[in-house]
Amino acid sequence: MAGVDVLIAEDSRIQAKILQRRLTDAGHTVRWAENGADALKLARERRPEIIISDIEMPVMTGYEFCKAVKTDPALRTVPLILMSTLSDPIDIIRGLDAGADNYVTKPYDPDYLLGRMQSLLATPLGDPAEEATLEVAVAGQKFRVQAGRQQVLNLLVSTFENAVAKNQELIAANEDLSLARDKLQQTNTELSALNERISTINARMVRDLEAAAKVQQSLLPPDDAALPAATVAWRYVPCQDLAGDFLNFFPLDAEHAGLFVVDVSGHGVPSSLMAVTVGRFLSPKVTDQSLLVRQRPDGGVAVATPADVATQLNRLFQADEFSGLYFTILYGVLHIPTGRLDYISAGHPALLLLSGDKPPAYHGAEGFPIGFVPDIEYAQASLQLAPGDRIYMYSDGVTEAMDKDQNPLGEQALADCLAASRSQPLPDTVAGLLETVVQWCQPNGPLDDVSILGLEWHPSGRP
Amino acid sequence: MDAYRRIQTGKTGDVHLVVFKDKKILDDTVLDEIKKEIAAFLGKSSGPDVLLDFANVEFMSSAMLGLLGQLHRKIAAGHGRLKMCGIRPEIFQVFKLTSLDKLFSIHKDAPAALATFT
Repeated sequence: MAGVDVLIAEDSRIQAKILQRRLTDAGHTVRWAENGADALKLARERRPEIIISDIEMPVMTGYEFCKAVKTDPALRTVPLILMSTLSDPIDIIRGLDAGADNYVTKPYDPDYLLGRMQSLLATPLGDPAEEATLEVAVAGQKFRVQAGRQQVLNLLVSTFENAVAKNQELIAANEDLSLARDKLQQTNTELSALNERISTINARMVRDLEAAAKVQQSLLPPDDAALPAATVAWRYVPCQDLAGDFLNFFPLDAEHAGLFVVDVSGHGVPSSLMAVTVGRFLSPKVTDQSLLVRQRPDGGVAVATPADVATQLNRLFQADEFSGLYFTILYGVLHIPTGRLDYISAGHPALLLLSGDKPPAYHGAEGFPIGFVPDIEYAQASLQLAPGDRIYMYSDGVTEAMDKDQNPLGEQALADCLAASRSQPLPDTVAGLLETVVQWCQPNGPLDDVSILGLEWHPSGRP
Repeated sequence: MDAYRRIQTGKTGDVHLVVFKDKKILDDTVLDEIKKEIAAFLGKSSGPDVLLDFANVEFMSSAMLGLLGQLHRKIAAGHGRLKMCGIRPEIFQVFKLTSLDKLFSIHKDAPAALATFT
């Protein structure tokens, strides 16, 4: 198509610029007006070879402009293309009535528009004298339109081409849709597979955690654990599946019993792994690892002093080698025949002694938590029990248990609770203390592991 | 503008000042963030003098002590000094329970602590 003189009527500056650029690139001369009135002026100044007009425009609409062109003797044979959204069949009638030669639906494809222009220019408009009045009914309304045969034909072809183009777009859209659907189905299948994998992994983790909890149970006293000449009762409530607390008691040799409460900082898997590791070193069996007992050259068993045990633990468990985890421990060795208790505290809460009718008394020993300071010696303290005396060891989950206003239970409440239950059997006093802690923490329950170990010494038989 | 979410930082002379913003240091995730932010603040300075200000802290878990211990050892290894201040009685209880009040250098408030760094 040789370059022709094109006139554009379009109120959107951007759309006009895009169209202008496209037409100029195709070799055409382009003039542009912002509304129908200006466009008419330009057309009268110099007769264009083809006009492309928007419909919705201020001052003078596309229909009015079209009608003005088609009734102007000097311009009526200039082909005119209306750009319409064609949202209503009436639009076609309006265009026909206005004398439009062709339609292009918006948004349009520039190549398609160029094609329409070409076919319009190739079929010159007939003699205006052939105009006839046509009657047509659309959407229940009758319209009388004046239109030439060529004009009607052009319009018919353009609307049909439009319909074909739209149909092709629909088919393409449909193809895209079915592609998207296939992809969705595939993604769904992949998702199900992933979900299944997650369930499997989850199940494995649950199994692992259960196994770990079982290993941790092995750190606690067995059901039939007992000491000669003493009653021992204990309670242990982890705040999660895996805990950092553990406690135990056992005979070390014929005359000595060992008892301890350990509290590894933090909760969950890291703390519980550390607890299990520490537990191996706190065994009453003579092994390479046990720090509590050693084989003597004469075949007997040597019981390590609590101070020695703490110093060795501190040497083994420097926190920096355990990603910052440290632990506190209260470890006591009871000489069963005499009731003498040697003990150490490595940053652990003091033990509580209930002796005769005396008020409860806390006995602490100073020492840093295990792993805090390298190469220190731990100082040992001693207590002399009288028959019937009780001692209680516990973790800070007892005294630091918080009520809903973040008030700790405290040492005084602990002492009061155990003093009040002095006349009850030892197991009942331990259960009662746990109940006190749980009640204090209502409604949320304890946020820390709770460990309680009570012992009553009665050398001349059970009370 | 604060560069960190959990700590406010500053420098007085050669002393690195760290003020904890949180009222409660209980959560493991909060602890982890504090740890990372202090490490980022101290950067590569070896054996710096550091003052930790607890004035905003009302509740603190004993797990925080582990972090303080690590910091203490790291700073001491480089011959720096770690001091603490603004510790209210409830929190001091956590230090006392573990005998760590004897290990750490604890002062009433920031001016008192800074005066001991000379």
